[in-house]
Amino acid sequence: MRFRAGVSAAIASTGILIAGWQYGLHVSDSNASITTTAAGTNGNASSNGAAAGGAGNGGAGNGGSGNSGSGNSGAGNSGSGSSGSGSTSGSASAGASAKAGGTYQGSVVTTRFGSVQVQVTVKAGTITDVTALKLTDDDRKSVQISNRAAPLLRSEVLAAQSADVQTISGATVTSEAYLTSLQAALDAANF
Amino acid sequence: MQQTSSSLRARTFTSMGTVVSLTIPLKGDAHTTVDELEAATAVVERVFTELDSIFSLYRPASEASAMARGELTLEEASEVMRDCYADAARWRILTGGAFTPERPDGVVDLSGIVKAQAIREAGTSLLALGLRDWCLNAGGDVLVNGSPVPGSGRPWLAGVLDPADRRTLLTAFPLGGSPPVMNALATSGTSERGQHIWSAGLSPSGLAMRQFRQVSVAARGIIAADVLATAIMVGGQRTLDLAVEEWDVAVLVVKNDGGLLATPGFRLAAG
Repeated sequence: MRFRAGVSAAIASTGILIAGWQYGLHVSDSNASITTTAAGTNGNASSNGAAAGGAGNGGAGNGGSGNSGSGNSGAGNSGSGSSGSGSTSGSASAGASAKAGGTYQGSVVTTRFGSVQVQVTVKAGTITDVTALKLTDDDRKSVQISNRAAPLLRSEVLAAQSADVQTISGATVTSEAYLTSLQAALDAANF
Repeated sequence: MQQTSSSLRARTFTSMGTVVSLTIPLKGDAHTTVDELEAATAVVERVFTELDSIFSLYRPASEASAMARGELTLEEASEVMRDCYADAARWRILTGGAFTPERPDGVVDLSGIVKAQAIREAGTSLLALGLRDWCLNAGGDVLVNGSPVPGSGRPWLAGVLDPADRRTLLTAFPLGGSPPVMNALATSGTSERGQHIWSAGLSPSGLAMRQFRQVSVAARGIIAADVLATAIMVGGQRTLDLAVEEWDVAVLVVKNDGGLLATPGFRLAAG
């Protein structure tokens, strides 16, 4: 469960970064895109309908990522103007990324499970790959991830003989089977 | 590990169709230790006998037998019976149905949890008696407190039987000690008493599909260890994944082909 939480936190962070990317592209390209997108408000705008209220800031622009921006986007890209074009941000990022194919590294984001950094590959306006450059290095989470039952050789478990142990665990023994069991031998030795 | 058997004393009795062993370290005078041990064993035996008289399906006069015959409903049953059923039902939910308090024929069968409950209550009684170092084993399910060498902080070492050869140990697992990590170890399997698993809710088709031959679970608390061992045995890989995610447990599985699956707690380095 905690493992899942860690994964979803990482995924959420990835989403935030991607949102940041879109926004970053948008910002870097803002001068050009304002005009482009103003024209192309059409369908794209409706897909970002929630953002339409606009207020022309990052929050609106990142609405489309599904991660509700969660403030990271706002922090990362601060005002930088956005020049009131918020209502068209969806199409803006699409327009920008169409020109800007390539590979981009996100900044390191700290989550409660540790720090996360991803690399995003964009081709023809579509994210084709997201790679984790840095996953949380938090010890606790490492332990949790690895507390899964994995195949093991007999030589990889602690070797033990009945002389080494003080008690024996096994499938429930009947009273009759006990008489010939290792536990009976231990009990007799300790009588 | 260097513990010699002569520094421990053990007493046993028969209950719930199996044998219960109580082991304590020798302290000072051997006679005093043995007196203390025999008094403690009597207390433990009383706990087991009382629960068995209520829950045994092998005793016609028990409340559980009356319920199995349809003479008594759960609503009319004693508080102890209802509490135990509620506990088992809660575990059924927690294990996604792998552990269940009912047999395939509908009879309420709490034997899958009653022995663990007896072990837990007996352990509480031992602590109330002022005993700090002891190892209680009921038919292969183990609960410990303290150390086999009082004051040393050294854990008890519990061997895990090889299901292919009951004279051989597969491995061992440390319990108790200081600071205590896990204090209970339970093993479920069919090599000794298949009916136990059957009564824990395995259908005939489930028997055929069973993936695991033996499951050992170390936990904080004997009920979690015992219930989860049974549940993983019944539910297979799916329940194993659930258990290691939801509970702080160490698990060792022997598959039908003899291969092992283990959480890091059972690895040599961590052992």
